[in-house]
Amino acid sequence: MPDETDELDQYLRGDSDVSCQYQRESAPEPPHELDRLVLKSAGSSNSKMPFKPQSLAPFAFAASVLLSLALVLAMVFGPQVKNPDDKPQVVRVRIFKSDPPRAMPASARERNPVLWLADISALRRAGRYAEVDAELRRFRSAYPDYIIPISE
Amino acid sequence: MLQGMDLSDDDASLMLRYRDGDTAAFAALYANYKGPLYRYLLRHVRNACAAADLFQEVWSHLIATRARYEPRAKFATFLFHIAHNCAIDFFRRDSNLRRVLPAYDSDSQLPEAEVPEHQRPDRVAEFVEQQSAVLAAVAALPQEQREAFLLREETGLNVEEIARITDVPVETAKSRLRYAVRKLKNSLRPMQEPEALRLRTYA
Repeated sequence: MPDETDELDQYLRGDSDVSCQYQRESAPEPPHELDRLVLKSAGSSNSKMPFKPQSLAPFAFAASVLLSLALVLAMVFGPQVKNPDDKPQVVRVRIFKSDPPRAMPASARERNPVLWLADISALRRAGRYAEVDAELRRFRSAYPDYIIPISE
Repeated sequence: MLQGMDLSDDDASLMLRYRDGDTAAFAALYANYKGPLYRYLLRHVRNACAAADLFQEVWSHLIATRARYEPRAKFATFLFHIAHNCAIDFFRRDSNLRRVLPAYDSDSQLPEAEVPEHQRPDRVAEFVEQQSAVLAAVAALPQEQREAFLLREETGLNVEEIARITDVPVETAKSRLRYAVRKLKNSLRPMQEPEALRLRTYA
């Protein structure tokens, strides 16, 4: 074992024949084409400066702190008791096959049943019976309890 | 071997300058390391084509990752660690190829196109035959011992740094180097003895 250690120590000191013989050998260099390719690659990739990741570090740290702070504030001051109004609500919807009952009159004329009936009478006198029927239906929807005079 | 390889780490500062956009610094680094790196790869993988590919791969990796470079070790350790990893990948690809093609032996002929030229065993043997005695002996060393020896000879790095490059404990690196030196001595002895005898006869 001491011989082995001496052998290695001798080699590491550079006194070994093995090392001398190896260093006497020719020392091939890479082909010029390789030199050209590597140097070109180093030059072209350097035309755009690499983005230095360490320059982002302060911003990343600040963003992390802000985000953490926002989360803590949201947890401390955010709503913690559920509002009963937040419960899901059921909405009932009715669908009518015909016109919905008690449709509210739209115009000023339709808000006054007397005026509306007068207009219907005028339509009847003009012979526009289809319009008379339609208007009467709408009138009855709007005022179901209103007693229409016989002449109408 | 690299000149002044105790590296004051001027090379690390060159690399820092290159990281910051100085292309001339890269050219200086390249001039310092191209020879040792090329010889390490050539004599480790034992094939000129593969060595050229790996050589380019190592520098491309260094160029691509320069923005993340921090001088935590000597620049040589950093560069040769990349080279070591590229070589490991090469040997892994090579052994996978051999596993996929188990019928590839001396008795069966495989179509030429299926095995890359640089991975053919006959090409490796041819490479070894073309070398001098010492280089042939180096080429015949087991892979890990060969690498340890080449790292020492081409970079002058110490055992601790060789261990760091090859990702092994210092004792392992030391052991690999010791075996490599002993095997090389034994391989070269038969050639030295007749010469010594001849000299004695003339004397």
